Amino acid sequence: MDELSLLRRIRSEVREPEQAALDRGRAALLERAGTEAGMDARAGLAVQGARVRGTTPDAAAAVAKRRHPVRWVGLGALGAGALTVALIATNVLGFAGWRGGAEPAAADALQAAALAAVENSDPVVAPGQYLLVETDAVYGNTTYTEAGDYVSYLTMNRDKLYVPADRSDDWVWVRSFREPYASFNAEGKALAQKSYDEEVAEADGVPELLRAPDAQFYGNSTVPDFDALPRDPQQLLNYIYKVTAGGGNSADGAALGWIADTLRTGVAPADVRAALYQAAAGIPGVEITEQVANLDGRTGISIGRVESADNSRQDLIIDTQTGALIGERRVELGDEGWGFPAGTTTGFTAVRTSVVDSAPEGGTQNGQFDREGCVDKGNGNFQC
Amino acid sequence: MSTDNEIIERSLHSAGAFAEVFDRHARTVHRYAARRLDAGAADDVMSETFLVAFERRAAFDGSHDALPWLLGIATNLIKKHARLEARAWKGLVASDLGRVDIDAIEQAAARLDASATARRIGGALRRLPAGDRDALLLYAWGDLDYEGVASALGVPVGTVRSRLNRARRKLRIAIDPGAARDEEVDHGRIVSASPDSL
Repeated sequence: MDELSLLRRIRSEVREPEQAALDRGRAALLERAGTEAGMDARAGLAVQGARVRGTTPDAAAAVAKRRHPVRWVGLGALGAGALTVALIATNVLGFAGWRGGAEPAAADALQAAALAAVENSDPVVAPGQYLLVETDAVYGNTTYTEAGDYVSYLTMNRDKLYVPADRSDDWVWVRSFREPYASFNAEGKALAQKSYDEEVAEADGVPELLRAPDAQFYGNSTVPDFDALPRDPQQLLNYIYKVTAGGGNSADGAALGWIADTLRTGVAPADVRAALYQAAAGIPGVEITEQVANLDGRTGISIGRVESADNSRQDLIIDTQTGALIGERRVELGDEGWGFPAGTTTGFTAVRTSVVDSAPEGGTQNGQFDREGCVDKGNGNFQC
Repeated sequence: MSTDNEIIERSLHSAGAFAEVFDRHARTVHRYAARRLDAGAADDVMSETFLVAFERRAAFDGSHDALPWLLGIATNLIKKHARLEARAWKGLVASDLGRVDIDAIEQAAARLDASATARRIGGALRRLPAGDRDALLLYAWGDLDYEGVASALGVPVGTVRSRLNRARRKLRIAIDPGAARDEEVDHGRIVSASPDSL
């Protein structure tokens, strides 16, 4: 049961008001109405008197105001519906371009990254070799304590993805435990450690190891079908708006999130990377947030946007010389009551790629789920 | 049947017509207030809501449905009862989750679980920022949609969306401490064309 249906059940059987209470409320209202009716009559006289004298007393102004209620019609729902229809109707005539795009400087930097991505061809992976994508990812974790406080801390995953030369062969994914990375008070520090200890104990100290052809981990492909993605930036952005519609805190935030997710896989072909950068340049509000941003010891230009819905900022950090995504980050701009101090970088990923001659042995398609003897119910759902 | 705005417009000339607005919505306003406070305080909030609404009827925005406006006024009036409301959250017990379900639960362990859940929900609601809590309860208990909540609170729809997102997430974590962690991990784990992954 989700939190909303649970909340809807709370005190749902509250009793109806007593008839006596309704009667009292109604009588009080009619009494007030009766008093005002008398005032209205007097005000009406005052208006007549005022006209004669050529002045406008306050009472007359008040009556005039009351007689002409301000009207406005909300166009939010209608507008949103119209946009959705257009969006679904076609890929070509979509969201992209209607509302402007990134700030000019950010658009230039993204364009430069796109060109560099195409010029710097993908690393050559010979048959039998693997492209190794190492992703260090820091995530925010929030716990609600018995005392009723939200306590947050950061943990880090160090994952290794081995991508075969022929992508329909077995991919291998080593997923680390969530190590404590940073905390903001003693309670958070203790919780991070406890959570880590529990996770290690549950897995008997062995990190999760997955193996699946065509990246079909956990019953779903973990990478998009790159062949199916449009290479035209505007069409690609429309496609992204379409598949992310309704997700995230805003359409633009969800679109940028999708681009970050896709780049983060580390396996997007050069022409897709280039198109993704150009598509990001079409998202309104995207700007350069830091000229020289440092992530994991590497520097690049930080391009992102502020999400007003949750007062956070999401950045892509790009090496514009090579067009490589160094990583991404998320910054909490204010204190939203989660136990993160304002300005905390609550998530970042750093991605490195290289070519290696071998991948670890072993692993199953569903990793931890297989270890626990869960039943695959299809579509990424497991019953344990 | 006249729409609410027609009745309210009529009441500008003929004040007694406003009683029709009371007859239409008093029970709903009472129910909303009683869930946040208690039945006694709800009597007062209901009565006062319509007095305030009557005084301000010239400024009514002309919507066909006056309920968002009325629930917005009631929400403001409930603020005067902040201490009572805080006590109500503190005293949230398993039976508040619905009598039928508790009767159906036979195992003592499950009943304990319901008590703990009620306590956690109460604690989370009590600690929500007031604006977030108002948005959440107008949505869940006032049965308003986003536009309605926005109109009730006099804030943009985007603000309602973010308040609801935040409040729901806090509630979700309060009910299930593992939820937030899983969300974050899922975000990192699955990259596909499915909007669910975002």
